[in-house]
Amino acid sequence: MTWYLGDLIPYLPLILQGLWVSIYVSVASFLAGSALGLVAYRAKAGGSPALRRMSSAYIEVIRNVPLLVVLYLIYFGLGQFGINLDPLWSTLIALTINNGAYVAEILRAGFDSVPGGLREAAQALGMSSRQTFRYVVFVPGIRKVFPALTNQFILLFLFSSVASVIALPELTNALMTVNSNTLRTFEVFTVGALLYYAVSSVLAVGSRVGEKRLFRW
Amino acid sequence: MGDLLTYLPPLARGAWMTIILCLIVGVAGSILGFVIGLARASSIGVLRWVSAIYTNFLRGIPLLIILLFTYFALPLLIPGADFSQLMSGAIGLTLFVSAYIAEVVRGAIESVPRGQYEAAEALGLGFFNKFRYVIVPQAMRVMVPPWVGILLAMIKDSSLVSVIGFVDLTQAGKIVGTTTMQPLWAFVVVGAVYFFICYPLGRFGRWYEKRLSISLARPPDTLQILMPAVTGLLEHEPPELPESPESPRDAGGTT
Amino acid sequence: MISVTDLHKSFGKVEVLKGMSCEIAASEVVCLIGPSGSGKSTFLRCLNLLESITAGTVIINGHNLGDPKLDKITVRKDVGMVFQQFNLFPHLKVLDNIMLAPLKVGKKDRLATEQKALELLEKVGLSDKADAYPSALSGGQQQRVAIARALAMDPAVMLFDEPTSALDPETVGDVLEVMKRLAEEGMTMVVVSHEMGFAREVADRVIFIDEGLIVEEGKPTEMFDNPRHERTRAFLRRVS
Repeated sequence: MTWYLGDLIPYLPLILQGLWVSIYVSVASFLAGSALGLVAYRAKAGGSPALRRMSSAYIEVIRNVPLLVVLYLIYFGLGQFGINLDPLWSTLIALTINNGAYVAEILRAGFDSVPGGLREAAQALGMSSRQTFRYVVFVPGIRKVFPALTNQFILLFLFSSVASVIALPELTNALMTVNSNTLRTFEVFTVGALLYYAVSSVLAVGSRVGEKRLFRW
Repeated sequence: MGDLLTYLPPLARGAWMTIILCLIVGVAGSILGFVIGLARASSIGVLRWVSAIYTNFLRGIPLLIILLFTYFALPLLIPGADFSQLMSGAIGLTLFVSAYIAEVVRGAIESVPRGQYEAAEALGLGFFNKFRYVIVPQAMRVMVPPWVGILLAMIKDSSLVSVIGFVDLTQAGKIVGTTTMQPLWAFVVVGAVYFFICYPLGRFGRWYEKRLSISLARPPDTLQILMPAVTGLLEHEPPELPESPESPRDAGGTT
Repeated sequence: MISVTDLHKSFGKVEVLKGMSCEIAASEVVCLIGPSGSGKSTFLRCLNLLESITAGTVIINGHNLGDPKLDKITVRKDVGMVFQQFNLFPHLKVLDNIMLAPLKVGKKDRLATEQKALELLEKVGLSDKADAYPSALSGGQQQRVAIARALAMDPAVMLFDEPTSALDPETVGDVLEVMKRLAEEGMTMVVVSHEMGFAREVADRVIFIDEGLIVEEGKPTEMFDNPRHERTRAFLRRVS
């Protein structure tokens, strides 16, 4: 068996383009998903009973159903109602919904771990519960789960590869294309794996650095 | 909706295939993961180093890439090999899962206080006895909750094996959905099946974790603080989560 | 200033305060002493509604705490509290800790608030720490910042819940100094503490609480030198 990377070179732009798509899909979904997660957390922590139940249901369902199934549901399933979303939108929505449920739980662990004394001090000073959350609980809570949140982002990035099955032109999809064109299977997937590994490593290191920089207290 | 009932058998077969796959991977991945975890925690530099590369790499790339690799690329390495979809899927998923389990095992072993090693040695216990009777039993209790978490995640991750054509529950759903032209119902059923398999297991895991927290009754040292973190996050990877005063629960993950 | 009549407080089925009554006048400094679990902290926490009142009447600076229409925030703007564990906000600098409530709750002007915060810091002797984070401060320093933080809201009454119990002995003195000066300036203070020296020196009145009831109260000299009840005597013997 020979190893030859040369055949891949003409496809480099395609691969890098795919990497770019993977990255921006991950970033967009993470941001949207985290916002959704925060909303879900607030609903579950202090909304009306109906909101609490809805939020819990959302979180439990998503955390117990595979991402791929959710993706298929959106991409194929909605088609039954005439809603035909393209691969990009399907991916963004599926990843956002998926991410939101996990972020909601991460946030819960973080915010719940903020010592009760801080809350009491805020209340004793006359702050409303919304003010208490926003000015006293939020930042310390985020700090505690910052590694978990960045880890979640890395996971999201790695699992964005799932979108390749609905033909979103992200990195894995590009790799599959290159594979079928060059038949250099071994080389293609090794390069692909290394690319993913490089990005996730950079993110992991960046997370540790970011944590020190962001939370100097 | 009525047609769907006639399509229950293929879905059931798919579910069955998923269960078989998960059992195989659960056992193989746990054994492999345990061994590599021991290597990760060992004092032999080379073993630690090599297993570190293994776990860090496998956890840093997508499961899908591993599966594609084992299905398309691996057979090329072994002349005359022809892996069935089940086999490549099982191999790929096993490798993936073993990396996470290895890290859990390592964390658990390392969480056993130094003093235990010293006490065991002072009592004259040799290498194997020391591990077998003192270290590993204590490590086990720390290990079990996150290990359950990983297996739970694995059940969901197994859906990716459908991508290489293996007819598991997800793939069955896709086939049924296209044939009946009712993909929504097909995937809702598929999702429900996954839910009813995973949710009870998740509840059990959390209950067990709670029981564990109570029974260990240690002062709040690293172990107790790590525990919700280790269980909690460990569907895939545990940076440390602080202890949640209410019910410590699984937090991050993707599938 | 504070009028408590037959205060009862239960947690579920357990009754912790069993009918306490007392009056505290403006500018009075009252120390609450008693064994652990006697209900002193619970009593204190009822005064700013950190604990709800099960039965009885509490009127503090004109606010009737039993009134269901009463907004807790209104009361808390008038009542400051200092906690045993300081509870400074770790992610905010010292100055921001002090300014947070006046800005967000009192909706005061930023410059005026900053000015006032700096004055308060000077008053507690920590002007040089304005830009530091709580983690860089010793326990005693943090507690002094906590006092400044509570004072920033211009309360009519200051509540102290075992303010020095979590401190190293060396720093206790600094905090008590600040409290003493506060008393001399005429602040109404209700202090739960084990610091008998402080009570003797600064308090106008000492109240001994045991098992959810007021057993005895009086001037410090009376209480410490000539306690009338046996339980008071037993307690004082134990802590001396």
